[in-house]
Amino acid sequence: MSQQRLSFDDVHVGDQAPEKVHKLTRTDLVRYAGASGDFNPMHHDEVLATAAGQPSVFGHGMFSMGFLGSAITDYVGAGNLTHYKVRFSRQTWPNEVLTTKITVAGKRSEDGHDLVDLDVRLVNAQGEEKVIGEATAAVPSAS
Amino acid sequence: MTASEQSDMLAGLIGTPTSHSVVVVERGPVSFFADAVVDDNPVYKDPAAAKDEGFENIPVPPTYPFVMDHWGAFTEFQSGETFAGIGPALGALMSKGGLILHGEQEFTYHRPVVVGDVLVGKGSIVDAYQREGKGRTMTFVVVETNWTDERTGDPVVTTRFNVIHRA
Repeated sequence: MSQQRLSFDDVHVGDQAPEKVHKLTRTDLVRYAGASGDFNPMHHDEVLATAAGQPSVFGHGMFSMGFLGSAITDYVGAGNLTHYKVRFSRQTWPNEVLTTKITVAGKRSEDGHDLVDLDVRLVNAQGEEKVIGEATAAVPSAS
Repeated sequence: MTASEQSDMLAGLIGTPTSHSVVVVERGPVSFFADAVVDDNPVYKDPAAAKDEGFENIPVPPTYPFVMDHWGAFTEFQSGETFAGIGPALGALMSKGGLILHGEQEFTYHRPVVVGDVLVGKGSIVDAYQREGKGRTMTFVVVETNWTDERTGDPVVTTRFNVIHRA
């Protein structure tokens, strides 16, 4: 939650946001399919997915980005993001434990805004990166 | 297609409009979407929590703009224009087989999107190119959508994604 507000003055390069951890389930895949309208059967139909040569159904890339996004906004405050970009590097699989890794990469002031740049990643228990990206938030200075 | 014909085809895609939609941002879908990305921040559910955090209304999770077309593009608000989108470009590539991947996704936020917003999104292909490597041809098509506030015309959020065809 954003009750504990991040302030520009108190944030330092190298700081790490609290991690969010989630074990991916097939139910998560079905729920995300419904919420997004992405009914590609590779994400919910085990029969079709295995027939296509996949070991099982696999997660939506945008679920990974969305889950990682929730950890980012928990850290910087909902509504403070100005930019969020990721590259999808690996598929996610049911029963994988996904962990968010968010590190402060820089601080700068631009056009009257105090901006914090973040390095953002989602990894599994083996440390394999599922999505890798960057985010920027405009955060208030300490009052 | 020869390599040079393919290169001309890709260059010709740049600037092609892919979408023009009007979407309404509604509370139910936003709440359901927050659950679907395992986001338990009360601002996405509770108008009072949203007001406490300085929002005019319930805001949306960071990746909601990727799906809002699915939820809020009610027929009566649309212009009636139709677009082929990136289908024909990908179809030409897929005619020789291969795999389509979502490579990158980017959001630039100009102001928070909140429940009650009516937004106009215009998308177009902004880049298309090929790269060779490891005996594979990778074709990249980049689509950008600019969402503006229907009432004021002000920019709200810009989304950009790239689709990769790997053959």
